Amino acid sequence: MALQRGLKPAPALMALAPGLVLLPLGLGLLRDLHAGGAEQIGRFWLAAFQPSLERSLLTHQLTGLQVTALTALLAWSLSSCIGLVLGLLCSTTIVSTLTGLRWPALMLRRCLSPLRSIHEMVWGLLLLQLFGLNGWVAVLAIVLPYSALLARVLADQLDRHEPLALTALRCAGVPAVANLFTSLIPPVATAIRDHIGHRLDCALRSALLLGIFGLGGLGTELMFSMQSLRFRELWSGLWLMALLLALVNLLIRRLSAGHGLLLLLLALPLVTMQWSRSLHHDLSLPRWVDGAPWASSAQWIEGMSQAWIETPWLELVGETLLITLLASGVAIALPPLLRLIAPAPGPGRIVKAGWLLMRLLPAPLTALLLMLASKPTITVAALALGLHHSGVMGLVLEDGLARVDDREHQAMVALGARPRSAWLFGVLSPASKRYLAYAAYRSDVILRDTAVVGLVGGAGLGWQLMEALSSFHWQQVGWLVLVYAALTLLGELLCERLQEMT
Amino acid sequence: MSLLELRRAGLTGRLQPLDLTIHRGETTVLLGRSGAGKSSLIGLCNGSLPSDQGHVLWRGQDLKRCRPEQRRQIGTLWQDLRLVEELTVLQNINTGALGRHSMVWALRNLLQPPEPEIGSAILRQVGLSSDLRDQRVSGLSGGERQRVAIARLLRQQPMLVLVDEPLSALDPGLASDVLNLLLHQSSCVISLHRPDLMHQFQRVLGLRQGELVVDAAPSAINESTLAWLYSED
Repeated sequence: MALQRGLKPAPALMALAPGLVLLPLGLGLLRDLHAGGAEQIGRFWLAAFQPSLERSLLTHQLTGLQVTALTALLAWSLSSCIGLVLGLLCSTTIVSTLTGLRWPALMLRRCLSPLRSIHEMVWGLLLLQLFGLNGWVAVLAIVLPYSALLARVLADQLDRHEPLALTALRCAGVPAVANLFTSLIPPVATAIRDHIGHRLDCALRSALLLGIFGLGGLGTELMFSMQSLRFRELWSGLWLMALLLALVNLLIRRLSAGHGLLLLLLALPLVTMQWSRSLHHDLSLPRWVDGAPWASSAQWIEGMSQAWIETPWLELVGETLLITLLASGVAIALPPLLRLIAPAPGPGRIVKAGWLLMRLLPAPLTALLLMLASKPTITVAALALGLHHSGVMGLVLEDGLARVDDREHQAMVALGARPRSAWLFGVLSPASKRYLAYAAYRSDVILRDTAVVGLVGGAGLGWQLMEALSSFHWQQVGWLVLVYAALTLLGELLCERLQEMT
Repeated sequence: MSLLELRRAGLTGRLQPLDLTIHRGETTVLLGRSGAGKSSLIGLCNGSLPSDQGHVLWRGQDLKRCRPEQRRQIGTLWQDLRLVEELTVLQNINTGALGRHSMVWALRNLLQPPEPEIGSAILRQVGLSSDLRDQRVSGLSGGERQRVAIARLLRQQPMLVLVDEPLSALDPGLASDVLNLLLHQSSCVISLHRPDLMHQFQRVLGLRQGELVVDAAPSAINESTLAWLYSED
């Protein structure tokens, strides 16, 4: 009836509604739960307060941390430089000002889409098969999607900006290149500087994740500790990582004010190369390994149709979408739900610290932790992914809540509303629009991330991709990567529409 | 000597085809109700709105084919100012000189603005303190921003100045100073909502519903003509 009359649900309820997925997830988890793991999970959380301080372990982990840091810094520097150049070339405003044509920019933008639609972990595993274990594999795995992503963000910013000053200077006879530099770059400079700074944080997490999948650095150490249930060692590494992230964020904030960030980007490749030598980390020129898939290209092409036929696409895509849906539900609804339970500022700070912790713990480790008390199922995969991303969403929500004008809330309290109702409609409701817009983008990231936890659930495209990679079924790997890319791009389009609607 | 010539030039749906010649040294005021086509005519004259019929000629050459160094001889003070909000006052003023300098000079302007003494002198000319030089434009008041836009126009040193509603954000005293400053430019076409000021100009152009209906000396315009120009029907 309400829908027939064109009524819309309150924004606050739209932020909470995805929480409905917690019901089937909770039931699924209870069904597969085994009590033996509860003790281990307890040990895991206790270990957070008593990490191992053994000297030899810390030395070992610090070396791993340095490899992770140099991989991330080198990848961040290269992807930022490449992304900036590609972004300028993808901007229709810039290209049409210089050439009078829009299509070259649009075409380049389409060509870059597949690069960013494939998860860095998938890139890492693919490149690992091609080049073997080389430091550049992890670097390139981050550089490829990150460059394409920055290019898109920069091009979007440039094209969204209304070019009034550009027209004014063009009419005043200012040459095209000087005009573009003067009237178009300064308005987007701050947003792009912030985005580049944020990508360093992401690059560090990606480098850690690639390590978990065997590409070296602290991630590999953490995976070994987790697999052998040495939780105190695991937490030593996690706290070291947290410290590095905090230091890096501080450094970026300091450098963002002037031209420091640009100088850092340009200097980093030289610094990291020198650093890698002192660590004996192999950053020599990568070479093709014997038996790589292009060696039998004729067979490769022949097997393509066979691989397409033998793969149960409907089932795999359905499972991937199910994991995405469930994980997105957890990630979006959990932060406002917990805040609803504890709306007072005191417990709110504890909740925020919890989100930081969730964000620190990579999704595959959360999945392994959950598997201590449960069977590997889609539920575990979705929950692990959802909990990791709820850390990000929780911080976004806290940021949004801090910006809300408190007058509506005060008015509701003055009218005698109960504290939770006043918070729901006076605080969460005004913050919901921005929160949901970000949630649409995050769902798109979660879809990409299903590749990371697919193996845990034993389902979906991610699991099939791991299977195909470990059995060297290259034709199927090719198709899976293409389907993943198509699915992610479809998700992106859907997400853009949703953002326009909200 | 003619600077700008419009030959049956128009904009479909906005401005009917018209013939017009702007001469060197001539001061012209554009009058008409809101939506009569004054901003469209200015856009047609500076090339920001390319005519979809007829021709616009700058010193005998088609404006669409003019090179940047020819186009910089036409200066515009836009109604919405079109300053680069993220740049400082001095950097914005210097954008007026970008057409005369190299790419390196343009880059220098973003990092360490060159020729600050010229910028300071122009700022004083438009009644602003040179202390404002390093302030971001986004932090200035409406009147200050308008004068920075005029300073940019002065830095450009154009042969013809086109101005769209220059007095809207200024108090009466300042408006008079700004108008005097603009009238001292060699040639100008100024769109105004103030018919009482037309006697300060040599020529009056009147627009009504997208049509040029008045082209005369101010002395030839009487009260009934003005009333008709500003009437609704």
